[in-house]
Amino acid sequence: MSVAKKAGPRNAQDRLRRLLIVLPWLMEQGQVPLATVAERFDMSENEIAKDLELVAMCGLPPYVDEMVDVFVDHGMVFVGIPRLFTRPLRLTAPEGFALLAAGRAAMELPGADAEGPLARGLVKLADALGRAGLDEDVGQRVDDTAGVAVDLERPAGTEDVLDAVADGAELRIEYFSPARGEVNARTIVPRHVFVEGGNWYFLADDEQSNERRTFRIDRIESIDRTGTVHELDPDAVAPDAFFTDADLPRARVRLQPGARWIVDRYPTDSVELVSGSGKRTTQDRNAVVDVVLPVASDWWLSRLLVRLGPDAQVIEPAGADDGARELAARILSTYD
Amino acid sequence: MADRVERLTNLLALLLESRVGLSLAEILTALDGQYPSGERAHRTAFERDKAALRDIGVPIETEVRTGDALAGQTRYRIDRAQYELDDLDLAPDEMRALQVAVATVRTDSGHDAILKLGGALSTGDRPPVSAVLPDRPELPTVRAAVAARRSVTFGYGGAQRAVDPWGVLLRGGFWYLVGHDHLRDAKRTFRIDRFDGEIELGEPGSFERPADFDPRSAFPADPKQIGHASDDAVEATVRIGAIRAAASERELGTDRVIARRGDGSIDVLVPATNLDAFRSWVIGLVEHAVVLGPPEIRREIVEWLRAVVEADPHGEVAT
Repeated sequence: MSVAKKAGPRNAQDRLRRLLIVLPWLMEQGQVPLATVAERFDMSENEIAKDLELVAMCGLPPYVDEMVDVFVDHGMVFVGIPRLFTRPLRLTAPEGFALLAAGRAAMELPGADAEGPLARGLVKLADALGRAGLDEDVGQRVDDTAGVAVDLERPAGTEDVLDAVADGAELRIEYFSPARGEVNARTIVPRHVFVEGGNWYFLADDEQSNERRTFRIDRIESIDRTGTVHELDPDAVAPDAFFTDADLPRARVRLQPGARWIVDRYPTDSVELVSGSGKRTTQDRNAVVDVVLPVASDWWLSRLLVRLGPDAQVIEPAGADDGARELAARILSTYD
Repeated sequence: MADRVERLTNLLALLLESRVGLSLAEILTALDGQYPSGERAHRTAFERDKAALRDIGVPIETEVRTGDALAGQTRYRIDRAQYELDDLDLAPDEMRALQVAVATVRTDSGHDAILKLGGALSTGDRPPVSAVLPDRPELPTVRAAVAARRSVTFGYGGAQRAVDPWGVLLRGGFWYLVGHDHLRDAKRTFRIDRFDGEIELGEPGSFERPADFDPRSAFPADPKQIGHASDDAVEATVRIGAIRAAASERELGTDRVIARRGDGSIDVLVPATNLDAFRSWVIGLVEHAVVLGPPEIRREIVEWLRAVVEADPHGEVAT
């Protein structure tokens, strides 16, 4: 079985939550192999059997006797006459949101069909979730989005990369590397496209380094097929947490109000109010703040500092402002 | 004492089966021996169980009895209509499409939702494209408030804001709430990850949303976004080197290109009304972009760069 088991002990609440999903399904099936149940609900056979045996013992004579008629025998689960727990619990607010957001996001991805089954399913879902918790006499009709809209605007070239993934096509691209400030030609085989944090990326086998690397689609300057086709890799998926920038060096920069926009634009470890700013909070747009942020490269930090100019001062690492001065001088020379 | 799962299951079954609300004393009698003895111990254990059931989505209602000898007593009940999942009546292809959506946009809560709806966790489907959405704990609450037309109150930018929530929108990697802000008496957009503290909810049906509202078009244009300003009062001409020409043309649009040169460089005409935004963009292109005119904007860029070159490396850090 390919499904990984959840590690660690499960608390009573989580066990009951899952049981209330498993039981209605079992009652529809009548009898089903234990292994099938385990795979479907991503649990071990042991966990399932233990929880089902426990629930079979439940009962409150004389109020509610033998509430769940279920037993496990020789790797099979048998369910008798359904009484209780025949319907799953309604969706919780987080579940409803997750489903709507996933559906809306999927509708924004390349290849989505505006009239297709997902669109139809989402209308039904929105209808059910829009009603939930609404007083009958208020009775307002909720729009089709049920309050969740997703905009995943994609850069030009996304379809080309996606087509290459589908075909296993090798590409020759000119790619701008912000860490070095250069454009290089690369030969790559794209494997998977993903969007995260408002940017579109793809995983690709990079011929030069012989490694699987992540590229940003909006940094492609040009794109051509080489004509070579490679075997597909259907197992390629987006990394779990792409922004694993934990290893990157950090910079501490003091921002005047004019430079505050970078807090909205780049990931930061911390935003601290600089003492002497009175009763302001870090949320205050006029506050002076110190931010700690991951730095992709010295060049990247220099470029950021030149853009921020007098509105920012680098505190750490020492000497980072030398790089900014050199870069500013280099740009200035083009104005001579 | 019984296993806690057993006790929780029994409590849930009891409340589901009872047609009337039950008092704590009646519950303790029915679940004889499953709660610890002693007034304080069993009350604490019962409150924990009630919180656990509510946390997984069981709608336990409380009512205070009036008008007879037992007036003032708290009673507990579950409304079955509120407990059970509505039948969405999904066709098989619609169910499958939702499964694929959840596999494409990875989310744990989404998996439980799919299972409740009768779908399976699709382990076989590996779509060639996927999305990672930022997760914020406030989102389900805000969305439910949109659906139920409940106003929300939250801390934002150092002030308390009371907002009629019209919709939530993901754009550029951030979740936004769009709605009517009572403080400004106007439509406003708030970044949900900037909410401060708890969200307070008003009564359901406390406002009406404009009938034609669509969060996607209600969103204000980003003033920092170059090439999209509608009011191009000031425009600057910029020469972009061959190395960045293609990407810049894609970003700005071909109609912004006013000259193409033999060495691959291009001249573009871009709005510079928002000088901060313009400067940030043009310097971001480093030595691959030069402002040709107008002269006052070219001078502004040169002075900015000179200030960086001449900044005193040993100067005091300003506060």
